[in-house]
Amino acid sequence: MNVLQRHRALSAIWDAPKGWRGTLVSVNHSDIGKRFILAAFAFFAIGGVLAMLIRAQLATPDSAFVGPAIYNQLFTMHGSIMMFLFAIPMFEGLALYMLPKMLGSRDMAFPRLSAYGWWCYLFGGTMLIAALAFGVAPDGGWFMYTPLSSKTYTPGINADVWLLGITFVEISAISAAIEIAVSILKLRAPGMRLDRMPLFAWYMLITALMMIVAFPPLILGSILLELERAFDWPFFDMTRGGSPLLWQHLFWLFGHPEVYIIFLPAAGVVSTVLPVMARTRILGYGWIVAALLALAFLSFGLWVHHMFATGIPHMALGFFSAASALVAIPTAVQIFAWIGTLWNGRPELKLPMLYLLGFFLVFVLGGLTGVMLAMVPFDWQAHDSYFVVAHLHYVLVGGFIFPMLAGAYYWLPHFTGKARVPRLGEAAFWLILVGFNLTFFLMHLTGLLGMPRRIYTYTAEMGWTWLNLLSSVGSFILTIGFALFAVDVALQIFLSRRIRRNPWKAGTLEWAMPVPPPSYNIASQPHVDDAEPLAKHPDLALHLARGEGYLAEARHGWRETMAVEPVSGAVDHVVILPGNSGLPIITAIVTGGFFLAMLAGQYWLAMVPLVGVIALGWRWAWGLGARKDTGPVSIGQGQSAAIHIEAGGSPGAWGGSFLLIADATFFASLLFGYAFLWVIAPNWPPPRLIDGGLLFAVIAVLASVCVPLLTRAALRQVARVKLGKAVPMLLGAAIAQGLVLAALVIAGLVGLPSPQGHAYGAASWALLAYGAAHAFLATFCVAFAFARVRAGYVSSTRSQELRTAKLFGDYACGVTLVTLLCLFAPLVLA
Amino acid sequence: MSFLLRISAGLLLWAVSFSLLYALQGMSCALGWDMILLPIGSVSRWLLGIVWLAFLALSGWLIRCAMGTPRGLERKLALSSAIIGFAAILITGSPVLLTSTCAA
Repeated sequence: MNVLQRHRALSAIWDAPKGWRGTLVSVNHSDIGKRFILAAFAFFAIGGVLAMLIRAQLATPDSAFVGPAIYNQLFTMHGSIMMFLFAIPMFEGLALYMLPKMLGSRDMAFPRLSAYGWWCYLFGGTMLIAALAFGVAPDGGWFMYTPLSSKTYTPGINADVWLLGITFVEISAISAAIEIAVSILKLRAPGMRLDRMPLFAWYMLITALMMIVAFPPLILGSILLELERAFDWPFFDMTRGGSPLLWQHLFWLFGHPEVYIIFLPAAGVVSTVLPVMARTRILGYGWIVAALLALAFLSFGLWVHHMFATGIPHMALGFFSAASALVAIPTAVQIFAWIGTLWNGRPELKLPMLYLLGFFLVFVLGGLTGVMLAMVPFDWQAHDSYFVVAHLHYVLVGGFIFPMLAGAYYWLPHFTGKARVPRLGEAAFWLILVGFNLTFFLMHLTGLLGMPRRIYTYTAEMGWTWLNLLSSVGSFILTIGFALFAVDVALQIFLSRRIRRNPWKAGTLEWAMPVPPPSYNIASQPHVDDAEPLAKHPDLALHLARGEGYLAEARHGWRETMAVEPVSGAVDHVVILPGNSGLPIITAIVTGGFFLAMLAGQYWLAMVPLVGVIALGWRWAWGLGARKDTGPVSIGQGQSAAIHIEAGGSPGAWGGSFLLIADATFFASLLFGYAFLWVIAPNWPPPRLIDGGLLFAVIAVLASVCVPLLTRAALRQVARVKLGKAVPMLLGAAIAQGLVLAALVIAGLVGLPSPQGHAYGAASWALLAYGAAHAFLATFCVAFAFARVRAGYVSSTRSQELRTAKLFGDYACGVTLVTLLCLFAPLVLA
Repeated sequence: MSFLLRISAGLLLWAVSFSLLYALQGMSCALGWDMILLPIGSVSRWLLGIVWLAFLALSGWLIRCAMGTPRGLERKLALSSAIIGFAAILITGSPVLLTSTCAA
């Protein structure tokens, strides 16, 4: 088979259908990645227009351009769009597009999950923008502090739009995080040990793991606040034992790591682009990875520094102030590694390098003001002033937008296959740099002069007029710069000349393929023996196109890619990825139906799409797997390997584990909330504790312990090829799990007080609901495994369904025990 | 998964110690342990100090374990994670000795 024949055969397998149908059913990572990036840029433009309106309002004192009601919507939506609809989806898009190419793979681990995440993001984002167009956009600030966002003070649907819309979008973020983590750990080219992995992949791995842990507290907080708003469960109402500080804790448990979640991917771009611009290798690979790990952990110990002004004890202030200062050290390690790399190399002042220099200037300034704000006495002075606005923009624009613009110019030839138009990009850079600093540097001074953030106007006597006017002028220069960037990109896409492959002479694998890349990325997968394979083997692209690597054969219509052992990079198995499908968009539409019904206050109607999502989940999973054993298949290079359905440690198993880690973080956050209310909130102890249901609790405990025993026994029978004996055990496990569900609900109905009366009742019912939901989920998994065994999808080598049922059954058992312990412990202690 | 655990063990220990110290500080204030005085300091300061020192000792032991890891990236990451974890426990836990426990 020659190169062209191989290209046609692989394209026939990997391409999406032409036209609208292809748009709707494509699951290809390049398509999904590009869509994320384009949509994120569109949302960025909307957020930018809102910023222009804010600056127009603040340009002069006593301005009547917009009133306070509209102004509140403008700054709330500006912040929410930039954080949730621009920054995170932008790097997700880059990761989805770029990671398989850099790792020498053909796609991400769960292509349909990528597509589902994309549609959820698009629909959720559209919901928020539509609310803005109809004048009912969120207006309580991007962090939605209670009690301002509670029903009493925000009676309309504005806050509900934020809570439901952002939660809808977060489904996309969690999906992408799991997808990215599993893809990096499993779907690499053989031979790519962890210490040969491109640094960008390390950054994305750490970011994805942080997202898996950071997003659940926000999702929990949103659910609790929506429960309070919709059903009057008083989690945050002080008069009934709630606490507004609980919202702040849950929000910032997400919100501070979020800053690093946004910064790290961009830092990954710096670590990729900078050595190429400096014509050398990165200095201190291992130290950078160690610094990343430190950043990932330490960033979770800073959240209370957003709450320094809430009156918490000095010792707690000390803990978080120390951690906030400490986190500057691993950040500095990276900065010094980059400076050392520049020192070691022969830097060329090309356009990506200009943006990197801009990044250094702006981000270091933002980092330094961050250390200032980490000091409690200074924070008390500058809290909620424009100094903070200046700081956060220096960190986020410096730490995200400048590196991403460097990355855009670096990788655009890869996306488009075209060269850029000379000089236009340089003009855009200078406008952005000057405009940004004029806008935001002056805000430090405005803040130090006492201007609070979020005020919609001020009087001339305050002495802020000239600073505000100059900031507004700067913001318009900044906007012109971004507009010029957009024009530059459009010209490159539509009018520019073709470019040769690997124009930067980079060493990473994304340049070992034609540009723009085909749907399957590479005709065969390489064996990697260096951190920069293209630098060591300049002819690698040619060899791969000739099919001299792994999986060069196009067979059975399979979308094949190699899976490796995560640490050593040794060949593990072959993953056969699912093809194009309408299921992701249909499931996302039905999911959206749930959120819309909730938004409309049609809570019983919302159950219909919820059942729909469950049915679609069943249908989705049913379409995977096989009814017969295949055995090892040839992978080229004289080697063979099992396919993922018949191998242990498949991407599905890893994905299930990461999903449970996110789920466990959600549960831990709920337990934290329960304990926080007991210990800190006013008006405790509650008027009535749990006073019954012990018998049903005992039934729930006994039944839940039976489930892991029965699923393990069923697995043993399957391993012994005695499928007939496994069936009744699975049926028994499903019945036991159903019993747990019923016993939990009855125990609550019999013993717990109403959830509306006091935060104790609300928190207890929330715990019980979590336990019941997981009992249901585990029942679903066991029932699915039961049906799959009966339908012939399970054998001694194909038992992933049973292992998934075991995993979720074990987790549900643990949740049941902890939930009941928490519910009944106060009764015992009392 | 075990590789990820090994290279982040030191920092995980810091996260546990940090959460525990913060939780104990909150509980001791809520339960009034800072008002129960011992010959030197209060019950809450003794409790927090002992927990802090115990985690420092544990973290020191972890550094020793990490030094035994075979050479390569894993050793570098495990050792640096353990050392950073030790330094972080030392610095972020130091308010246990330096500040008032419950005064706001």
